[in-house]
Amino acid sequence: MTGRRIASATFLVSALLALATLLALPRAGACGTSPGGKLSIDATLDVNTVAPGATATLTVQVRSAGLNLPDVTLPPLTVERVGPSKSVEHTPALVERAGTSQSFSMVNNAVERSSTTVYRILPRGEGTIHIPPIRITVGRETAQTSPLTLTVSRTAVSPGPGPGSAVTGPAKTPTGRPEVFVQGAVDRAHVFWNQQILLHLKLYSRVDILGDVDWKPPATAGFWTEGLGPPRRGRVQVRGATYEVMEIPSALFPTKTGKLTIGAAQVRVRVARVVEPPDPWSMLAMPEIVPQDLALTSDPVTVTVDPLPPGAPRGFQGAVGDFRLTVHVDSLTVRAGDPVTVRATIQGTGNIATVRDPEIRGRGVTRQYVVGSSTKVDRSGDQLKGERETDIALIADQPGTLTILPVSFVWFDPEAGRYRLQRSDSVRVTVLPAAGAPAQAGRPGSGYAEAAPRAKPGPFGTLRPDPPPSAVALLGLSAIAYASALAVGGARRKKLRDPRVARLEALEGLLVRDLSRAESLAMRNEAGRAAAIAERALLLGTGIRYDVELSGAAKSERADLLRARGAEGAEVSALESLLDSLGAIAYAPPETRVSDARHAIRAVRERLERYRRELSL
Amino acid sequence: MSRVRPCLRLALALAFALASARGSMASLAETDASDPRAQDHVDAAALYDAGTEALARGDLGPAVTFLLAAYRIDPRARDIRTNLGIARARVEAAEGSGDHGMPPAPPPFALSPAESWHLAAALALAGALVAWMAAARPRARRLLLAGSALFAAGMVFSGALLLRAREEAVHPSAVVVAPVLEVGPAPDERPLPPYLLGAGDEVRLGPSRGDLVQVRVGGNTIGWAKGSGLWRVVDAPRYTRNSGAR
Repeated sequence: MTGRRIASATFLVSALLALATLLALPRAGACGTSPGGKLSIDATLDVNTVAPGATATLTVQVRSAGLNLPDVTLPPLTVERVGPSKSVEHTPALVERAGTSQSFSMVNNAVERSSTTVYRILPRGEGTIHIPPIRITVGRETAQTSPLTLTVSRTAVSPGPGPGSAVTGPAKTPTGRPEVFVQGAVDRAHVFWNQQILLHLKLYSRVDILGDVDWKPPATAGFWTEGLGPPRRGRVQVRGATYEVMEIPSALFPTKTGKLTIGAAQVRVRVARVVEPPDPWSMLAMPEIVPQDLALTSDPVTVTVDPLPPGAPRGFQGAVGDFRLTVHVDSLTVRAGDPVTVRATIQGTGNIATVRDPEIRGRGVTRQYVVGSSTKVDRSGDQLKGERETDIALIADQPGTLTILPVSFVWFDPEAGRYRLQRSDSVRVTVLPAAGAPAQAGRPGSGYAEAAPRAKPGPFGTLRPDPPPSAVALLGLSAIAYASALAVGGARRKKLRDPRVARLEALEGLLVRDLSRAESLAMRNEAGRAAAIAERALLLGTGIRYDVELSGAAKSERADLLRARGAEGAEVSALESLLDSLGAIAYAPPETRVSDARHAIRAVRERLERYRRELSL
Repeated sequence: MSRVRPCLRLALALAFALASARGSMASLAETDASDPRAQDHVDAAALYDAGTEALARGDLGPAVTFLLAAYRIDPRARDIRTNLGIARARVEAAEGSGDHGMPPAPPPFALSPAESWHLAAALALAGALVAWMAAARPRARRLLLAGSALFAAGMVFSGALLLRAREEAVHPSAVVVAPVLEVGPAPDERPLPPYLLGAGDEVRLGPSRGDLVQVRVGGNTIGWAKGSGLWRVVDAPRYTRNSGAR
């Protein structure tokens, strides 16, 4: 009883471990490093699940920082299976040592050796193989791997029979990580009628492909199919494994509604399969490369196609996608009988080859021809794009105006789920009379109005740009005037540089400007201000006469300065008396203040004029 | 007085230069002095009417000639500018180089040659007056500078006008009136394919050799052409009575 419980528990743990390994570790691996870091071991299984009779590869890599590299010994392995009576059965698994390679490196005087040993595990029955920790030891350094688990199940994918025979594709999905598989996918499974669907047929391969790939496209009944350029190649990661991918993109446009099925694509491919020799030491341990033909198929894909919603605007002709309309007129002025070419261009994403040309009409048109149309399809991108051009020639035989009516284009925008309408402006083309026809002034259709003839003569003038005599005279006069102004100004500036003249000019300024202002103030009964101005003018004038600075000097100092400059005592006394009388005006009785001020200002003027006469002598 | 003399000399030299330039240009222009219409009082309205009539007939060479002449006299007149723009646009359209859009009319802010000369003289006179005001004041350096600037502007302007008048006297403006005018090398020059000018093309003329006249475009000589296929703009009044058929 106890033994059965233990066996059940062991099985449960094993199953859980296997499941966890399957889910979490797409590629099982275990790594261990010694405490000193000088020794490490890494064990890797190439698959987690393997079918009975199939081969799983265990790669053990050992690194040692030194010259000693331990040998790896794998213990015997058995397939553990719970039997019908819930008893644990052990079936031996055949383990072959496929080969060992060693390498040696020395970087910065540090020696490192490594070896890689490959084992092939060939389980015979279903169950679980527990690979115990693999332990290596060099001196005191010890490293070991973590235990690994390999599930042996008939549901696992078989890599196919032996080389040289054609096989059906082992897998249509990456489940189980086959070496080669093909997959078909669409970018959307629910679309509108005539909406673009992108079908990606991808061939995934982890082995070398020999020669060309033979693609047989899927059956696409109910679709308009457009290829999107040559196959594209790349590299992708699928569940941790790196695959070379060859993709053939196609654009499909459903022409029916309902559930439509894109059939299975069939691919025939020849791959290079590497077969390890049974004895790794035989034939110099060179693996054998054998071509293998594979026939792969993808899963069918079902797409639901809805009809376009009702209420399509007038002019809708079935375009579905994302489009833009441009209208170009080659000339806005033509002569009667000459064509004006209108080009309507529709460009955008969608089935451009089936887009109908918009209607181009004109008013005042005598004849109309289709010059041509062209369709350019761009298959280089991820979607089918392109543009369609239509050239229409409109001819008016009579002068006047030719009106190109608005050109409209309606399409269904599947992304927005609604119809869209784009309409150009109307264009007016001026039609001139035909070449050689008599012209008419101000005629309609000339494009612009000529001004009418004049009724009155004039103005009169000359056609020659020569200078008129009056302008010549004026220019000459101006030149003479300017030159004389310069001469007069220069002479005046030179005269002012003489000190005696400068003093006379200053005295003149006092007489003309300051004393006149004082007299004016006295007339307006502002005797105090008038006396102050006259006093300042008297001091400045006396200073100019005797060439001394008197402003701010005290009375005694002023007298000394004047005597030192040659003034007589009587003159100084008279000056001081006049200054006293000017200073006293502010305190004079109001009835005599104005007359006193006038008298004083007159005395100042007489004195300053006397000074001027003395200086001019 | 030492400063006055150079200024006076300068002013006198300028006046003499203007007077002599006027005389020399008059002699260069080879004006038909006997024709009263070639004199100073030319009627802009008559030229405009002749140009408009030629434009209506589709006679683009005479139309451009008459309208250019009218534009020289009355450059701000809207009707003259409009019809001159139309005529030039039709010339371009006839040569296939037009864009069929509204023709570009000459700018409305333009002066006739006489107005330009008087403006230059007025500027110079104003400068001289301001200089006199500066001379009358003891310290008026800024006023003197302003007057000098005005006077200099007037003189520079008149100098530019003088150059323009000299260019017109030496290389008068002309318009092609022949439907197609072949401009090729002179008979004694290396033969080259001729330039083809159309009616209404505006060129300048150089010296004459017999019935050939040198044709210049954009300041460069492009060859020689028969003078009968060209009308000088200054001679436009001579054709007003019988426009388009000399």
